[in-house]
Amino acid sequence: MTQEVIHVDLPARPPTPPASPPSYPWLGRERLAGISLVVFGLFALWAGSDLPFQGEGGVGSGLLPRALSIMIILLGLMQIAVTWNDRAETTGSWPIRDMLPVLIGVFLFAITIRGYDFGAFSVPVLGMAVATPLSIIFSGIAAKDVRYGELLIFAAILTVVCIALFRYALGLSLAVAPWLIGY
Amino acid sequence: MMAMFENLGLGLSVAFTLQNIFFCFIGCLIGTLVGVLPGVGPVATISILLPVTLSLDPTGALIMLAGIYYGAQYGGSTTAILVNIPGEATAVVTAIDGHEMAKKGQAGLALGLAAIGSFIAGTFATIVIAALAMPMTKLGLLFGPAEYFSLMIMGLVLAVVLAHGSLVKALAMIVAGVLLSCVGADMETGRERMTFGLQMLTDGIEFVVLAMGVFGFGEIFKNLADPEKRDVMRGTIGRLLPTLTELRQNLGAILRGTGLGSILGVLPGNGAILAPFASYALEKRISDRPQDFGKGVPQAVSGPESANNAGAQTSFIPLLTLGLPPNAVMALMVGAMMIQGIVPGPQVIQNNPDLFWGLVASMWIGNLMLVIINLPLIGVWVKLLKVPYRLLFPAIVAFCCIGLFSISNDAGQVIMAGILGLLGFALYKLQFEAAPLALGFVLGRLLEEKLRQALIISDGSMTTFLTSPLSAVLLLIGLVALIIAVLPSMRKSRDEIFTD
Repeated sequence: MTQEVIHVDLPARPPTPPASPPSYPWLGRERLAGISLVVFGLFALWAGSDLPFQGEGGVGSGLLPRALSIMIILLGLMQIAVTWNDRAETTGSWPIRDMLPVLIGVFLFAITIRGYDFGAFSVPVLGMAVATPLSIIFSGIAAKDVRYGELLIFAAILTVVCIALFRYALGLSLAVAPWLIGY
Repeated sequence: MMAMFENLGLGLSVAFTLQNIFFCFIGCLIGTLVGVLPGVGPVATISILLPVTLSLDPTGALIMLAGIYYGAQYGGSTTAILVNIPGEATAVVTAIDGHEMAKKGQAGLALGLAAIGSFIAGTFATIVIAALAMPMTKLGLLFGPAEYFSLMIMGLVLAVVLAHGSLVKALAMIVAGVLLSCVGADMETGRERMTFGLQMLTDGIEFVVLAMGVFGFGEIFKNLADPEKRDVMRGTIGRLLPTLTELRQNLGAILRGTGLGSILGVLPGNGAILAPFASYALEKRISDRPQDFGKGVPQAVSGPESANNAGAQTSFIPLLTLGLPPNAVMALMVGAMMIQGIVPGPQVIQNNPDLFWGLVASMWIGNLMLVIINLPLIGVWVKLLKVPYRLLFPAIVAFCCIGLFSISNDAGQVIMAGILGLLGFALYKLQFEAAPLALGFVLGRLLEEKLRQALIISDGSMTTFLTSPLSAVLLLIGLVALIIAVLPSMRKSRDEIFTD
């Protein structure tokens, strides 16, 4: 075997110091987990409240959803109870803003790949030739160490590869660029 | 016994067509290719690559998926050894001593032993599957709705008990998974449930969308928020093939791991996850120098890796014979089979013997291929490890988007997966395991169907689950397992196994 040196390029970011525990115990991770369960259970209970409990042949559409919602609420309360005396641990940062570009990329892909009618205006079918690079470029912006030139070249290459792979090699019926080549 | 070899013969004749060998090869290759990328585990790999198989015939598609699965597994071991990033729970054990070996310049030996051990384990597990297929199928046909329901409950309880981390949280995740599976039109009455009038929810949430959202996008969000600490390895790979002496020293560990993995993998509650831990603990116990474990002992790599692979493969048994996926990867296989129009269960072996035995035989071919293609290509995989994450994840996003869209040509699915990605991130932040959620989700519909059928047969009486002896026994096993797991003494030793 050749002498191979492995160097893995890390997302550049200095190690963050351990965050201090939250000041308010309800904000501790485990309690927050329990609260989330309770909230989710209540939400599901409300969402399924219009469903009949009893159906014609026994179980109605509402039985299982309701039973499960109640179980989740109970498990949430249990989670809060068992972890009540634990030290409150922080959940760390929630950098939603860092993740936003990825979500925008995904959204743009969804509305351009086959077009979308918003009522007030509509997006035409732009196909893979537009949707793929949009998703790549926008999500790429989310990286802390983004290099724009590199990202653009990468997006162009990967788009060609994806079109060749999915449309031609695998024969999936995906629009490529209807506005340019008609399919 | 003869029937088994006849069936395997049939399988080999299916799997050894040029086309299916090609699919198996491609599957292994791209499975490794994606699986070797740091931070991309087998579940994410399979969801990302699922669309690639959409246009194939069912047999070819499943053979390719199985290949992707082995490739992803092996790719995960490679990253575990080289960069100390286990892509999934079962590779955690490999990372301990495997990465220590890599630091000592024995990365090649660790990879070689992992590959050879996996191959031996895969060969044995294939035979186990072939031998158990017919009896298990017959058993499955004996099961009525009530027994099926109880079996699923037992499987889910076992999955909770065997998962690491909080029992309450794992239980909550399973229940939440079943609840999510209720979304959409009621199978029986067609009534919309919890759809909020949203069109993209009428048909329910596709499992693949859930998997790609929670495991694919969720993983990306997680890495963007908290970049994984990567233990950068600088040094040589070293020679790959073990010497005869080394092979002899490891053969015992490989065989013990294979046995453990084969048995644990059959359990209908994700026993496979336990296999590498059990093997590690066993090797440490019988070793002359237990104090060296954790510092780069070859047996601590070859044993758990064999156990891992054997378990990974025998976990196909509950799926193929009973239609019950024991873990998230198998749940994805169910999703893939459904897309191909095959409902997994005891009827598959009868209705599609070609597919069934072809798949079993291709497992062995897949394992052979892993050894043949992966060892020489290790240099290529090493280069892949150098792909910077800033380019890697946009590529994953694009692949996921195209895949999600191509499943049903519906852009709504792409958006839904994005939202589910945020859910996956929240789960990670609150330290919920996503795997039980996926398992509950995939079993949810079947669970409700069987519950309804059983209650219709019993005229609405809940006691039907206890009056059937088989069903009562299954529920009892589940209950006992749960009680044992809650006992303080057991909790302690369970935690020890996972932290050992």
